[in-house]
Amino acid sequence: MAKKKIKVIISKVGLDGHDRGAKVVASLLKEAGMEVVYLGMYQTPQSIVKAALEEDADVIGVSYLSGEHLVFTPLIVEEMKKHGLEDVLLIAGGSFPPEDIPSMKALGINEVFRGGSLTGEIVKYIEENIGGQGA
Amino acid sequence: MTRKKVSAIQAQENREINWDDYLQAYYEKPTSFRTWSGYETKELYTPEDRDGENYRENIGEAGQYPFTRGIHRNMFRGRYWTRREVVGLGSPADTHERAAYCFKNGGTGLNTIADVTYEMGLDPDHPWAQQEVGLTGVNIAHLQDMETLVGDIPLDKVSWSLITASTAAAPTMAQYVAVARNKGYDISRLRGSVQNDPIHFRYCGFRPACPLDLSIKLGSDVMEFCTREMPKWYYTTVNMYDLREQGLTAPQEIAYGLGIAMCYIDELIRRGLHIDDFAPRFTFYVSCHIDILEEIAKIRAARRMWAKLMKDKYGAKDHRSMQFRFAVHTAGCSLIPQQPLNNLVRIAYEALAAVLAGVQSLHCCSYDEPMCLPTEKGHLQALRTQQIIAYETGVTNVADPLGGSYYIESLTDKMEEEALKFMKEVEDVGGMEEAIRAEWLDRRFEQEAVKRQKELDQMEKLVVGVNIFTDEPEKTTPLGVQRISNISTKSQIEGVRKLKMSRDMNKLREAINKLRDTAAEGRNTIPAMIEATQTLATTSELLGTVREVFGYSYDPMNIIESPFK
Repeated sequence: MAKKKIKVIISKVGLDGHDRGAKVVASLLKEAGMEVVYLGMYQTPQSIVKAALEEDADVIGVSYLSGEHLVFTPLIVEEMKKHGLEDVLLIAGGSFPPEDIPSMKALGINEVFRGGSLTGEIVKYIEENIGGQGA
Repeated sequence: MTRKKVSAIQAQENREINWDDYLQAYYEKPTSFRTWSGYETKELYTPEDRDGENYRENIGEAGQYPFTRGIHRNMFRGRYWTRREVVGLGSPADTHERAAYCFKNGGTGLNTIADVTYEMGLDPDHPWAQQEVGLTGVNIAHLQDMETLVGDIPLDKVSWSLITASTAAAPTMAQYVAVARNKGYDISRLRGSVQNDPIHFRYCGFRPACPLDLSIKLGSDVMEFCTREMPKWYYTTVNMYDLREQGLTAPQEIAYGLGIAMCYIDELIRRGLHIDDFAPRFTFYVSCHIDILEEIAKIRAARRMWAKLMKDKYGAKDHRSMQFRFAVHTAGCSLIPQQPLNNLVRIAYEALAAVLAGVQSLHCCSYDEPMCLPTEKGHLQALRTQQIIAYETGVTNVADPLGGSYYIESLTDKMEEEALKFMKEVEDVGGMEEAIRAEWLDRRFEQEAVKRQKELDQMEKLVVGVNIFTDEPEKTTPLGVQRISNISTKSQIEGVRKLKMSRDMNKLREAINKLRDTAAEGRNTIPAMIEATQTLATTSELLGTVREVFGYSYDPMNIIESPFK
């Protein structure tokens, strides 16, 4: 039986327009065999979680490059909990200080991949950690 | 690079010295001889590579057509470049304070940058703006904000670069002129620049604020207004830099940048201006990435290409029209957060390339750019980097010190040749406006960005801390983290709310009606924007009113309706 493809939502959130990284990650995860839905810019915590529900996603990846990571992370996590998406892996990419990574993880981000990350690291992390399938 | 070749390096990462690998590392040589943009180089360049060189026609002295060697005869002997660090954080008062700090520490020009909310044309009280106001720059919602930003800075003495790139550059210019006039300055004497390149900004996340026709309309309104009223002002800085940051190569950067510049030039000519009326105040923002010699060659090629373009295509006669004036921003995308102090070294090399290439104005990134907005110490370090180059290295003694190098001249030719191919490609899809409309350029950016990441993944390009000599990433930012105060954000939102309740609505409505009529009649909107700014119209009200005339929603985010119906 063919193994179900890993399904990933990649999204920007709020007004941040730095989308090079998000688009590159979306393309390269697709090349790595995952099914990727790129939501684009101007998403809200609500629109991201709605898409994750509709797509039955295994992973949500959000991209932060405008200092908005601590603003939106709690809102996204809250929205995920509201809809029972606690098992969905939440990862974040972009630019933010290392000092904030523990707070982001405490808020509910499973892993972060800042600028300078290699695609292989992201793929490996997702494959090893998605809910249920890795267990 | 093959995995085997870096085995010595990998061993070092594991912190165990394998002496056989050490020996291999001792004898290690580079495995690639390509430039950053992927062009093969030869082992040695000789006079044979410059066979038939026509020095006068192709290179020329600095200060002479085609300006390959620089736009001034004596370059830095006449004047250093402007040392201008980009500043923008929190509120107008916070930004003023940091700008003053840079001046106190030897900055010679101001460079204030708009935040995402201002660039999108949203006031701080907009539902989409409230969480993000001040996070990446400064929001100037109205006249009083601009007054606070300016504070006691003497506008007739400083050169101020206003970084608003989107269609919000039109309100920025209106706000700046309104404040200057209120303070009694003769605006024809003001020096500085406004970024005003809304076309390119559609590729930086601001597409709702930058529809193509409105970008050309408002961008050209600013250019035309400044040409007529502010002869010392540089009314656009066409932003090649942001294009490069999307992942482009060096020749693509200048090819697409020149393509966008021509969209504005063609419009100004359609409006009846002669090329020599306005081209002397046309400027560019260029990237300097890490391949020092390729970047220098790229800039020399851009100077030659611009000179030829002005002379041959547009019939310019004034030499000043043919001078490619540019500011450099060192490449933010070359910096990494894993080993942050190494960024200081990258920035210094990139800034050195800019100076060796004859830059007019320079912003060094702060080393903390991949982590947060610049801290005060980060800004100071960036400024000090410029000062070390200016005062210690001696590279300012001679104009175009690398000119005449067999390699540099050959690489300059290569950059021009490749950039011309990319320009031809754009021409073949129907010109730049069509390439933008058909999203041809979007696809090109996406392809190139993926290529750049694969080069790192496959170790075709090596970056210390990314794919070689990697360590556990630093857990702290060495000189601290810049935070934006909640108080600044809240005061910005409250400020605009209060202002909106306290205005003389009759005067405001009258000014907005006048702006609407002016736009509808196809006249230049800047004078009407200045008048409306004096009646305390906000940025979103100015832009929204013009947007509606062009058939767009009042609010780029499509939530708020015009209060002036």
